[in-house]
Amino acid sequence: MSRVKLSTKDKERIERVVKHYLNADSQELVKRCKLQVEALMSTSEDLARHLHSTKSRIKEPKHLRDKLIRKAISCQEKGERFDITPENVFEHITDLVGYRILHLHTKQIEVINRIVLHLLKSERWFIMEGPIARTWDNEFSEYFNGIGIKTVDNKNMYTSVHYVFKANEQAKCACELQVRTLAEELWGEVDHKINYPHKAQSLACREQIKVLARITSSCSRLVDSIFYSHEKDKKVRRR
Amino acid sequence: MAGHKPVKRHSSKRIVIYNHKGGVGKTTLTINLAFALASVGKNVLLVDSDPQCNITSYLIDDLTLDDLLDHSDDEEQGETVWSSVKPLVDATGEVKTIEPIKQGQRLFLLPGDIKLSEFEVDLTKFWTESLERRMRGFRGACGLSILVNQVASAHNIDYVFYDCGPNIGPLNKVILLDCDYFIVPAACDLFSIRALKTLGHTLSGWIRSWDTIVSQAPDGIYLLPGRPKFLGYIPQRFRVYGEEPSSTYRSYFSKIEKSVNSEILSLFKKEDASLATRAIKDLRIGEVKDFGPLASAGQSEGRPMWEVSKGSPSQREEAKRAFINIAKTIVKLTDEGGSASDS
Repeated sequence: MSRVKLSTKDKERIERVVKHYLNADSQELVKRCKLQVEALMSTSEDLARHLHSTKSRIKEPKHLRDKLIRKAISCQEKGERFDITPENVFEHITDLVGYRILHLHTKQIEVINRIVLHLLKSERWFIMEGPIARTWDNEFSEYFNGIGIKTVDNKNMYTSVHYVFKANEQAKCACELQVRTLAEELWGEVDHKINYPHKAQSLACREQIKVLARITSSCSRLVDSIFYSHEKDKKVRRR
Repeated sequence: MAGHKPVKRHSSKRIVIYNHKGGVGKTTLTINLAFALASVGKNVLLVDSDPQCNITSYLIDDLTLDDLLDHSDDEEQGETVWSSVKPLVDATGEVKTIEPIKQGQRLFLLPGDIKLSEFEVDLTKFWTESLERRMRGFRGACGLSILVNQVASAHNIDYVFYDCGPNIGPLNKVILLDCDYFIVPAACDLFSIRALKTLGHTLSGWIRSWDTIVSQAPDGIYLLPGRPKFLGYIPQRFRVYGEEPSSTYRSYFSKIEKSVNSEILSLFKKEDASLATRAIKDLRIGEVKDFGPLASAGQSEGRPMWEVSKGSPSQREEAKRAFINIAKTIVKLTDEGGSASDS
């Protein structure tokens, strides 16, 4: 936990932002946006065939507050100005609406990415960011680059492909789409429960979560390998 | 779908004479105003968007109408409003261009169809899909408007009049949102006055709801403007003694004015001041008294009230004056920079 203390001014501002997010208009907007993204993703039967399951959510006010506090602290540490206000919160926080696609093995991302981009294009969404793969695993990194997905190093130890888009260029509310394997989801869920909103204090926990990340990554890789061998085997037998 | 040609809205003024209350004389007013505008030199397109096809049967004979309706499902031969929007419903393509039926030099008709009542069902779905921000929903909700664009630009139309059924269904919703102006016909009776209340609420609700849809719509697609201005109201079918409306009807006039002011005008001012710029006293843009036999003769003969074989010459002259005056008022009020047929 950081030792930096937030100023009263920052604290008050964060409360104003959260209050604004909680007002009827903002809530109606995020709910509508969530519904629209759900409608978008459910239009493709092709996508349904390739994914394991989906999730969607709107950000809970307390999670928004925590995120703003983390941002404010990080600004202070870096000596930057914390400038999120009720007026610009929708611009700065682009995951108020979140949608997640879970799949079994890594290589499914190629076709899922193609379908997602096609959906966004044909239904004319305004893409702000992505696809970007966040990963810490070099082998996966190489794979993503090979299928045209840019990668960034992730200091959090998980692998996930992200997109940020909104209804049109002027639209207020953005949506973040995350695509990841079931194994990565396991790590993400454990990490989230243990480390949010406040990082776990226990050294053992922190250590084990790092080890879990390695096992998760290996687990994804093992599932990949099983499917790869399975497909190869089918081809050989067909001959 | 990628590769859609961008649609531009045609500059003709779109007007609907609307009241969800039945029997207030919408159709009679619409057709006679269309005739009147044509007679003052404007090209007018009548769009029969009422599944009951009253205005179509007013203008064309029964045999022709039956023939139109028999073939309206046909991809090649269909020539009604329904034939045009059917590809959207079947998801087989875009709005099909149809040829309007020409009536005289300046009046054009897009014939109605009883199957438009089926289109109502689909429009409910298109509306939901528009709320879900689906392209299919936007295309469906804007279909009729796109048809009007095509026909209006092909025939150099100055004024478009939609004829509506008496209800607050989804078809009337997209029509109102496509119009630049609406006029409220008000009959002189208590039920009609009471109906004005729901009318104002319904219309402002539609406008607000479309605003929400537009704020989340994709960039660069064709959308209904969703900004119908309140052009005025017209008291209808009152009796006169001598030159003036009788005292009973005069009292209805003031009740109507009061209701229009509190139930429509004030609501619109609150919603968006640009939709209701004129004062209540200027909003009575004319009045149409009960012209007795002229109205029904017009229907059976397919002519303007002032050109029928019934009634006296002075009655016909009076009817003509009433409608031409309203037509001129409409031209004056809607003239925001020249007409298509002048250029």
